[in-house]
Amino acid sequence: MVVAANSSQTAAGAEGRRPSASARGAYEWTLLVVASLFGIVSVWFVGTIIWQSVSTFQSQGLYLLTGVNWVPGAGTGQPSQYGGRAMIIGTIETSLIAMVIAVVIGTGTALAINFFVPQKMKTFVATVVELLAAVPSVVYGVWGMLVLAPWFLNTIGPFLSSLPGGTAVLGTTVAGKSLLLAGIVLAIMVLPTYVAISREVIGAVPHELVEASLSLGATRWQTLWRTVIPTARIGLFGATSLSLGRAIGETVAVSLVCGGSVGTTFKPLEPGVTIAGWIATQWGEAVGSDQIGALFALGAILMVVSLAMSMFSRRLVAQQRRAAAVV
Amino acid sequence: MNENMVNMMNALEDQAIVDPRSGPIAMRLNNVSVAFNGRMAVRDVTFDVPANNVTALIGPSGSGKTTLLRSLNRLHDLTKGAKVTGEILLGDEDIYSGGIAPTVLRSRIGMVFQRPNPFPTMSLYDNVVSGLRFNGVKKKSILDAAAEESLRAAALWDEIKDRLKAHGSTLSGGQQQRLCIARALAVEPEVLLMDEPTSALDPIATQKIEELISQLKARVTIVIVTHNMQQAARVSDLTAFLLMGEDRAGEQIEVAPTLKLFSQPDDPRTMDYIQGRFG
Repeated sequence: MVVAANSSQTAAGAEGRRPSASARGAYEWTLLVVASLFGIVSVWFVGTIIWQSVSTFQSQGLYLLTGVNWVPGAGTGQPSQYGGRAMIIGTIETSLIAMVIAVVIGTGTALAINFFVPQKMKTFVATVVELLAAVPSVVYGVWGMLVLAPWFLNTIGPFLSSLPGGTAVLGTTVAGKSLLLAGIVLAIMVLPTYVAISREVIGAVPHELVEASLSLGATRWQTLWRTVIPTARIGLFGATSLSLGRAIGETVAVSLVCGGSVGTTFKPLEPGVTIAGWIATQWGEAVGSDQIGALFALGAILMVVSLAMSMFSRRLVAQQRRAAAVV
Repeated sequence: MNENMVNMMNALEDQAIVDPRSGPIAMRLNNVSVAFNGRMAVRDVTFDVPANNVTALIGPSGSGKTTLLRSLNRLHDLTKGAKVTGEILLGDEDIYSGGIAPTVLRSRIGMVFQRPNPFPTMSLYDNVVSGLRFNGVKKKSILDAAAEESLRAAALWDEIKDRLKAHGSTLSGGQQQRLCIARALAVEPEVLLMDEPTSALDPIATQKIEELISQLKARVTIVIVTHNMQQAARVSDLTAFLLMGEDRAGEQIEVAPTLKLFSQPDDPRTMDYIQGRFG
């Protein structure tokens, strides 16, 4: 009874302060308009890309994925050829190189922050890592171009080529700029993001499991390899996918260091291109709806790949959270 | 003091008291102290752990029971600023002298923790044999035999033998704790440390673990930390009573055969504690 009395009182109190019908209407209308704006922009964005690329998909067909020539036909009387093989392989290659480097170094760093860095320094290191994640990618690109590229040209490239089978597998560097350098710059660029996420994922591994492992006679290495990493594996996979999403769509940093030529060999030490880098560098020269459409088509391919990756990683991270909750 | 306790103690007083320390000794603690960053947590503990008996460490919160227990398998090595002084002998060897590697030591002195902590990514089977695998055992026949033997010893075999490939999270809390006991036993330790092993369990699961402890002492020496005096009285043969001193470091007040400590303690503080005047 007391509760009922209280609640009716509250209702009466609220009555006095209840906004007028018109104010409520404005509130709801504002939210509705803002939300619809977002919806409209999204549909507009995706719709434009699909609309603009349809004609290219129709005229090029599979050649868009497998072809090697990028020759606009406008003014020559020949049909246009828009082959995206170099861009697609370049994108996959640079992203793969970046991921291998980032996962190895990043996981090691995240483990070190959790298990070896003194408690007092942990917050400092974590803050620095998160700040680095906020550095714009063009800064990494410029640094790669001005600092790493000459070093690659004079030291790293010749050394790698001189290894047994080096030239055959890795190729020869001409200007330092190459797919490998692009991969390395991407790795450095995504490392802070990867470390920031994997540090948390590894930190969420219950300390009791570490103790359980050690109390059974495991060495510290065994504890990291067989207990910590397996327990955190889904989250680490999520961190990888999120980093990959960033690397795969990176434009400026990559186009500054990849060399920018449509190659056919795809050897890591030789120059190449990526989808995002190609769109950015070709845009200025693109004339006619035909060529612009081809760039849109490449963009659509990239969008689908990134979207799939992002959904995949979200699901993995959510799964890991649920698994952690069970433990 | 509740009525159960009174009855139990009256019953205890009628029995002849045998000091388990008159038999073989598994571990000896001589002036063991533990400090964290220069601050004493446990001071000057000295007593013998009788082989194939259950030794209970009791005392109120902050008396250093768990801290002392964790010094027995060098688990403090992980904590920066932790320092263990004095002498802890396993057989004739000082475990801190460097003669035994910590990994070897921990396969000779197993541990069961407060909360059941099976490895969540491993199957029940993989959990049980994980210690053997850490120690380099790969042969399937050996692992299979050890898994069955230690699961039987932990009274879990019959309940899970048909689903060894399932994960630990499919078990109840009590089953998980018995899985952890089986995991510790699989390495064939000489001593098993138990840190309040039933504090996260319900009364029935607790009773099962206590029965298990009584059976297990035939094969392994047990040191158990418990905040539950009745549990100490029920399962242990020797009891060490610790209390926080004036500088907040845990001190050993009295170590005696359990029957004696709970019926005729020498120290008035022990009497106060077992009668429930503090803690």
